[in-house]
Amino acid sequence: MVPPATDGRIAIEAKQLVKRFGVVRAVDGVSFQVRRGEIVGFLGANGAGKTTTLRMLCGLITPTSGTALIDGIDIFGEPLQAKAKLGYLDEEPFVHTHLTGREFLDYIADLYRMPRGPERQQRMERLLGLFELADRNGELIGAYSHGMRQKIGLASLLIREPSVLLLDEPTNGLDPRSARLVKDLLEELAARGITVLLSTHILEVAQALCSRVAIIDRGHIVATGTIEELRTQAGSEKASLEDLFLKLTAGPESKELIERLLAPKP
Amino acid sequence: MTRSATAIILAADLRAWRHRLLKRSAARLIILALFLVFAAVFIGGGVFAAGVTAGQYLPGGRDTLLAGGFTGLSVLMLVVGFPTVIASFFVGRDLLQLVLAPVRPIEIFAARLLLAMGANLLISSILLAGVLGLGAGSGASFVYYVLAIVLIFIQVLVITATQAVLMSLVLRWIPARLARDVAAAVAGLAGAGFYVLWNLNLRQSFSPRSRPDLSNLTSVIHRIEWLPSAWPGHALSAVIAGEYGTAAIWSLFSLVLAALVMGAAAILYERTLLAGLGVFGGPQAVWRRGASKQIPVVARRGAGSPARAIARKDWLGYRRDIRRLSRLIPAFLFPIGYGLTFFRPGRSVTGFWTEIFLVAFISMFLSSALATPSIPSERRGFQILRMAPMTMWQVIWAKVMLTLPPVLTLTLLFSLVVATVGGGGIAELAEMAVLVTWLGVGFVSIGVSAGGIDPQFEAADDRRAVGLVGTFAGLGAALGFGLLSVGATALFVFGVGVAEGNVHIGPLPSSPTIGALMLAAGLVMAIGAGAIVGSLLWFANSRLSAYEGAIS
Repeated sequence: MVPPATDGRIAIEAKQLVKRFGVVRAVDGVSFQVRRGEIVGFLGANGAGKTTTLRMLCGLITPTSGTALIDGIDIFGEPLQAKAKLGYLDEEPFVHTHLTGREFLDYIADLYRMPRGPERQQRMERLLGLFELADRNGELIGAYSHGMRQKIGLASLLIREPSVLLLDEPTNGLDPRSARLVKDLLEELAARGITVLLSTHILEVAQALCSRVAIIDRGHIVATGTIEELRTQAGSEKASLEDLFLKLTAGPESKELIERLLAPKP
Repeated sequence: MTRSATAIILAADLRAWRHRLLKRSAARLIILALFLVFAAVFIGGGVFAAGVTAGQYLPGGRDTLLAGGFTGLSVLMLVVGFPTVIASFFVGRDLLQLVLAPVRPIEIFAARLLLAMGANLLISSILLAGVLGLGAGSGASFVYYVLAIVLIFIQVLVITATQAVLMSLVLRWIPARLARDVAAAVAGLAGAGFYVLWNLNLRQSFSPRSRPDLSNLTSVIHRIEWLPSAWPGHALSAVIAGEYGTAAIWSLFSLVLAALVMGAAAILYERTLLAGLGVFGGPQAVWRRGASKQIPVVARRGAGSPARAIARKDWLGYRRDIRRLSRLIPAFLFPIGYGLTFFRPGRSVTGFWTEIFLVAFISMFLSSALATPSIPSERRGFQILRMAPMTMWQVIWAKVMLTLPPVLTLTLLFSLVVATVGGGGIAELAEMAVLVTWLGVGFVSIGVSAGGIDPQFEAADDRRAVGLVGTFAGLGAALGFGLLSVGATALFVFGVGVAEGNVHIGPLPSSPTIGALMLAAGLVMAIGAGAIVGSLLWFANSRLSAYEGAIS
């Protein structure tokens, strides 16, 4: 594992973020910090508030209260400056299905005012090659598989070199080879000082990649820290991240639920 | 008893439709209800009254009117119905689910046919009002009214099935790589071509005379009364005349035709459903351009431009989206049809004002077709724009700048032809060019704003891409802007004439003071028109900046 190039500066800071949808408090006072060059796992069950938090951090949703800073810039106060530093990959990447992969990257690069020319073109070629999309030249994104869309989504973030990446299930739908590529890539990016906040359900990925994790449950952060710190917090020295996660987000035992489901009919 | 798959599919579709309707706010539902009441009373009532009058005072023209009405309805449905038919029969994830389920294609066809008829049935309600009115004016028996409802329903069924047949034929006989383009051409040209031809025939009816002469219209309808689309009209006129045997024969013909077309559509659909899902269900899988043509685009130098990027993306989207493309062809053909129909050669005050109203209409029509869906058509890609370091003003500006060139080019071209053929000089041409530019900028801005005020990003169809608030705001603003602009033009043109003493308006004396007052009033009206556009742009910007929806 490449050591992260963290210099102690705060790259992402969530300050008491609250988001209410009608009577539902999807996110309820979430605060955490991510240092520059860190990869931090953002874990939680379905509906815990992960995606809502990420969307607030990237400015897609305005919080009911609280704020978020990206590289010290308030995303709601100075959105254009903050957005220029930020890359967000949704669990269903935002793509234009009627463009080819190359055209889509070109579109994104123009939106972010990347200078045109051979350098940009070479970078595009390298990214398409890296994600094994170069030979799909001429094919529209609408015809891509889910994994390929995920890859073009990632490529569209990297084409413009953001300093902060917010990734919602980036390995979702990827084949093992591509998933490994993404993991290696994230480590390399962190080593170069890029900050990654990674939301994932695959706890092995979080355990392998992340220097720290934040666990959200029903809109509240229930734990933050390194795996060691969480073990100490949970009082179980040899627990895996999966055990810790299940303990911290307690629900009914799965074994009991399965038995109930498969019980013979009366 | 086990329900049929068709009933299950229809029930699910209706339930989804009901949920979509009820999810709207109470205020929107009230506005919708008010609009429906308004439409029923004013539009339906107006057409009904016209029918009553025609039935009472034109006893010899009943057959012609009914045959023409049914044929006109058929053409109108052909013009506007293709995107709905493509969407209902060949597009949608729910359709993929149905294909996977143990459901026969014929059952899917039946359910989708009824669903696709929705838009056409709405259009046909206008004809129904007229036909019922004509029956009332003619003192028709109860049989007439029942038969009218049945025959209009059958007519809608036949047209919708015909559209499905045409699309299936394209899929069956045209290679997949060309099918989308050919389908777009068929969809666009089928109805619009008829429409333009129809208008060309009507042209002489509206040629310069002291009053309109409808003899040409009547002779056109006589020439086409053999068309199957006219048969229900013959059946109904026979009922009015008390010739029930003749009515039964025409009705039977209509029924047999409907059965044949539906049978053909069902068989063809069964054979082309999977191919159709592949061709229409998503974007074209393979784009037939070599890599060599793509590289120069990225190899250009200079800073990347968001506006240029959006322009290129939108152009490619239009080029590759069959439903959007099929809507553009009629949008471009309509102005030509209208132009040829109503154009009067010869320079006169009346001619000049006819041209101005035509130019205003064409500008408004093209803007609504091109500008209004421009923001909602971003779909999920709108989130990319929201995350990009650009303001919503920039997005709106880019969309206005992108839509303006085609609207201005077409309208200017039309004005140039009209002014030249009409014998207008350079001065008139310049007046028209200024007005066209003003109207184009205004209507396009209003159109883009209407889409930005109430965008429905999840709508698969551009026609449903703007909600009620946006639609009404856009319509109201376009009417206000158009009237104020044309009014200002009138005051400018007549004000100069009055100031020079060349024009006399009623009791007003022609003097430089009155002329100056008229020019000042024209200026106020122009400022008012500009203020409407500015307000709408501001409103659209506020709404888009505050947009937070999760677009699935």
